[in-house]
Amino acid sequence: MDLLHNLYTGFTIALTWTNIFYCLVGVFFGQIVGVLPGIGAPTAIALLLPLTFTVNPTSALIMFAGIYYGVAYGGTITSVLINVPGESSTVMTCLDGYQMALKGRAGAALSIAAIGSWIAGTGSVIILMTFAPALAKFALRFGPSEYFALAAMAFGLLTVFGGGQPIKTVISTLIGLLLATIGLDIVSGLPRFAFGMPQLLGGIDFIVIICGIFGVAEVFNSIEEPEEGELIKQKMRLRDLFLTWEEWVASRWAIVRGSVIGFFIGMIPAGGITTASFLAYLAEKRYSKHPERFGTGAIEGVAAPESANNAASISGFAPLLALGIPGSPTTAVMLAGFMMWGIRPGPLLFQTKPDLVWGLIASMYIGNFLLLLMNIFLIPPFVAILRLPYTIIMGFIVIFASVGAYSVNNNIFDVWMMLGFGVLGYVMKKLEYPIVPLVLALVLGRLAENSLRQALMISGGSLSIFFTRPISAIFISAAILAYLTPVIRWALKGLRKVKVDAA
Amino acid sequence: MWFADLIGGMVVFLLGLAVVFFSRQLPYMSEYGPGPGFFPLWIGLGIIGCGIVVNINVLRRRDKTGAFFKPRTKMAVSILIQIAIAFLLFPLLGFSVVLGLFVGASMRIMGKHGWIPCGITAVVTGIAIHFIFAHWLSIPLPTGMVGW
Repeated sequence: MDLLHNLYTGFTIALTWTNIFYCLVGVFFGQIVGVLPGIGAPTAIALLLPLTFTVNPTSALIMFAGIYYGVAYGGTITSVLINVPGESSTVMTCLDGYQMALKGRAGAALSIAAIGSWIAGTGSVIILMTFAPALAKFALRFGPSEYFALAAMAFGLLTVFGGGQPIKTVISTLIGLLLATIGLDIVSGLPRFAFGMPQLLGGIDFIVIICGIFGVAEVFNSIEEPEEGELIKQKMRLRDLFLTWEEWVASRWAIVRGSVIGFFIGMIPAGGITTASFLAYLAEKRYSKHPERFGTGAIEGVAAPESANNAASISGFAPLLALGIPGSPTTAVMLAGFMMWGIRPGPLLFQTKPDLVWGLIASMYIGNFLLLLMNIFLIPPFVAILRLPYTIIMGFIVIFASVGAYSVNNNIFDVWMMLGFGVLGYVMKKLEYPIVPLVLALVLGRLAENSLRQALMISGGSLSIFFTRPISAIFISAAILAYLTPVIRWALKGLRKVKVDAA
Repeated sequence: MWFADLIGGMVVFLLGLAVVFFSRQLPYMSEYGPGPGFFPLWIGLGIIGCGIVVNINVLRRRDKTGAFFKPRTKMAVSILIQIAIAFLLFPLLGFSVVLGLFVGASMRIMGKHGWIPCGITAVVTGIAIHFIFAHWLSIPLPTGMVGW
């Protein structure tokens, strides 16, 4: 009954005209961001975050959440119509979505993506409603050792799920942690790495870093390697969007399986929506009686990853709201938003700010419904956005990033810092150092350091505190295992090679 | 790319050394437990270790294909220079005027659009920035000599 009462409260908040407006703006903007290659959800939220200082936090969060799950819908359009994923989470959709479009079934591909995303999104909100408060209740038992172990596990899992070279993931994480230490030490009050510059005493603001590392860096990368594809010129009528009975039969269970996979992967710190869509596609291919159809226009190949990425974008809110631990770069940016408004997400959030939490959750039903309508009736205008010259988009990014960085402390120094981080992000991407670990470590750095120091103070300097408390022991073991995974993989590869050579 | 990777690894290694050096100037332990130098020191040591591993990997790598500088790298650098020039002009001309000019100029230089659309976009962008950010959102953007 409590759940229904909370949901009712949530709807009374989400259904005010102001919040419906912010939800509509969020999903509309998210859809546009999804369509545009070269700009993602974290960038969009990072660029808009400084402009919401004066907005009610609940309304702003409803808008940002709308952007987050709206992006997953929008990215599909470019994947299907031009074979260029608008978002990394829709890469897998290109494989079969584009093939369907070539066969004249672009409408069906976009329809199943919208329907699958809607079913997965709505289903995930229902599970999130029951799961997140339970997780928050469980997290009330957490002390400093558990929080440090949880952060360590999140960093460790990045090396498993992050792709690329694990050593570079670790370096990126360490640089993020290093950046988080800049400024006055919270315990002793001593300045660290400020080099006598008063602007650095308060630390480098998170917004300045993400505006540079996501926003401006993306401009450089997109100019250097533009993602171009040819738009399939196909006149789409409303009836083209209807699925045939065979298509629906083929995709209904793919939606369910994709949703389940997406929900669980989205909850894992560092899991993320891209991994979710990737795994859902592979699972669907393995499960299929005709795996050879995948890659040639199988509708299940669109339904599964699209459902998974949307389910993951919703379930990613569970660790953020209940534990205060973001699982993806987008939720990391949103955590920065919480901090900006003076709200600390975590186990107590459900008790101290029920209006915010339940208003946000209820808005997800509304947002997903709005997106379903948009993706059925408004595809042509969104496709038209693809014709916008990149120089204009680039201009917008630079404007928002500059104003955003400036507005944090009203000084030009931050704008230059933002540009510096833009260059850093650009070079890191060129050298294949992932950006996401840096951002997650930056957000969690203070929590990790303070928890570590508090835990060691409690234990008198003994590391055994992390292994003797059951919850922290589980987390820290998972972290160690995650860090050892690349070594284990390397050793297994070596063993296999020896066996092959011997044979 | 091989050489760029090697330089990258060296920079990481040197960064680690610098972090360790500056952390050593902070107290490692305090009266109650770990001091302000504790965490950064371990981060620095971690960075040094990772830098060494990266360099070993690079030196052992046989595949030396791939290039750091790509055909359009020049364009990215050109945009970086344009942005830097724009930022230098902020105190002189103010945010709205400079960013308007930046959008117009980049359309002209990068997009090869005609002078008239570039000029119109620059003016509209400048006015929009002024009204949206300075008026509507009340962000005290620097106005420069123009007063905008």
